[in-house]
Amino acid sequence: MTRYWPAMLSVALSLGALAAYVSLLRAPVVRNHPALYLAAFALATAIAAIASWRAARWPNLAALVISAALLLVGGYFNFVLARIPTAATTLRVGEPAPDFTLPDAAGVPVVLTSFRNQTPVVLVFYRGYW
Amino acid sequence: MQILAISPDSNERSQALAERLRARYRFLTDRDLTVTRRYGLVHARGGNKGQDVPRPTTVVIDRQGIVRWLSLADNIQVRPDPGDVARAVRGL
Repeated sequence: MTRYWPAMLSVALSLGALAAYVSLLRAPVVRNHPALYLAAFALATAIAAIASWRAARWPNLAALVISAALLLVGGYFNFVLARIPTAATTLRVGEPAPDFTLPDAAGVPVVLTSFRNQTPVVLVFYRGYW
Repeated sequence: MQILAISPDSNERSQALAERLRARYRFLTDRDLTVTRRYGLVHARGGNKGQDVPRPTTVVIDRQGIVRWLSLADNIQVRPDPGDVARAVRGL
């Protein structure tokens, strides 16, 4: 069994990277570097490919299929599905933010310019639950 | 500093989130994305049902109402580091 350690390493690296990314999503350093999980999948694929080339036995081939599948799916997600087309924003650093009025969680209208001369404002646009 | 979090979520959902986070956030509802669209921050058909959703964006505005710092996501997985936002606000 120990001669299949590269295959086991490959699978552990693939599934470990996936589990780590999902469970540590709240940490900015993990969430903001999706290339890290792709690098782990690529390394796992390379290890499994070398092992399969040296001995085309089922544990090595299975590790190759698992790691290559994760690399393909992860790459498609990161480079295609997760991409946001860059549309033109009207916001410019150094220019005024357009005013707006929106209801808060209690239904009370909030006017952006009401904070003028009071306090800096951080606007966070987020996707919500959909 | 006042944080205004803007999404198409309903008031009830935003209220629930505000209470869960106990945050100094005020959650504003831009139900039909009117303001998001005016700001040019719509990710067209980016939702899981093909609907328009906001492009994740963080904007720091100073006391005079001028935009001082801007972070526009080009990947839905990525958000600005809270430390960078805090530094931008402290610099005002």
